[in-house]
Amino acid sequence: MSRLIPTAEMTLGPFFPREFAQGANDLAQGASGEVIEITGRVTELDGKALDNVILEIWQADSAGRFDNPAFSGWGRAATDAQGNYRFRTIRPGAAPGRAPHVNFLILYSGLMRQLQTVMFFEDADDPVLKVVPQSARARLIAQRVNQTSYRFDIRLRGGEETPFFDD
Amino acid sequence: MAIRIEPRDPLTQAQGVEAGYAQTARRWPSQPLVRRPLGAAELSGPQHLARRLPLAGGGKAGDLAGYGDKRAIGQLVRLRIRVLDEDGAPLPGTVLEVWHCNAAGKYIHPNDTHDAPVDPNFYGAARLVAGDTGLVELRTIKPGAYPVPDTGGWWRPPHVHLSVWGRVWLSRLVTQMFFPGEPLNEADAILNAIRDPGARERCIACLASSKTSEMIFEHQLVVRGRKASAGTP
Repeated sequence: MSRLIPTAEMTLGPFFPREFAQGANDLAQGASGEVIEITGRVTELDGKALDNVILEIWQADSAGRFDNPAFSGWGRAATDAQGNYRFRTIRPGAAPGRAPHVNFLILYSGLMRQLQTVMFFEDADDPVLKVVPQSARARLIAQRVNQTSYRFDIRLRGGEETPFFDD
Repeated sequence: MAIRIEPRDPLTQAQGVEAGYAQTARRWPSQPLVRRPLGAAELSGPQHLARRLPLAGGGKAGDLAGYGDKRAIGQLVRLRIRVLDEDGAPLPGTVLEVWHCNAAGKYIHPNDTHDAPVDPNFYGAARLVAGDTGLVELRTIKPGAYPVPDTGGWWRPPHVHLSVWGRVWLSRLVTQMFFPGEPLNEADAILNAIRDPGARERCIACLASSKTSEMIFEHQLVVRGRKASAGTP
């Protein structure tokens, strides 16, 4: 069968509508499991904070399932003028063969295509974490702020750069 | 349905830092991207997003142009956008987000500081859902060109931003659609970041009819992923 070639991805641009950016960062509503908050700051070269970066997440439910009809698993947040984003969600369970994690997709002006990274809750034996250079692995592990809150900063470029995936 | 995703082709996809677009060198990672093993996490994705994201600007057939004294300024166009996967199979029910500037090149966005007039009758954003054949229709006005406020900026050709999900997490597609015959297409740093001429051509809509009250443009979006056949890895 002939194969169509995927359309070229292009930058989101700086003017992604606010109404699209907002209203989808709470995945916890109506879901069962341990409610947690994930916050962080998105920066570019020289640590400059970025406004209106779009972050989308995809995660398993509390039992490690990706196909639970009662839990969407998908969310979207935008950074504010200080570069900060926030999700409210359920702590994901471990899917077979994986450590608990949250998949992140980043869209922004000046990013010619989407970037993908993964947030882990702790250093673990995980096939995706394992392919990241050892020296950078710690940057994929969220900081625990308190019992229910985690911090995951994303540095697009420069010192302490977040590792990103290409698939 | 099991979905197979193949690596991006560097000829048909942008590679990151572009000399003609200064911001890319501040934002694209300096370290090589890491190839990861794909499993259930990457090869599954949100289902029924239309339930989670409120549709705006119309369902299967959106309208941003309006009528009568609510009509937006600009040339009327109808965009017919079909969403398919790499097998050519349509994606009915997939959510499509569309946004573009007004005929003067101004976005309804607080971050747009370009000195161009706002059109009170134009709100340039719609969230739509594809019909049975993967088709989304939008009646709107043709967007204008505008200068990029970046160091060493340039005029962007008229374009429409498109965002669609596809079947799995890795099939997410955010792109732009261009109009045929625009001289600014030749110099656009974003369109021309795609090295393959055929791939650039596929980002330009086709004028299907100009014998109607609206210019009809047809366009195709192909999201990543094809059916994994038994026995293939």
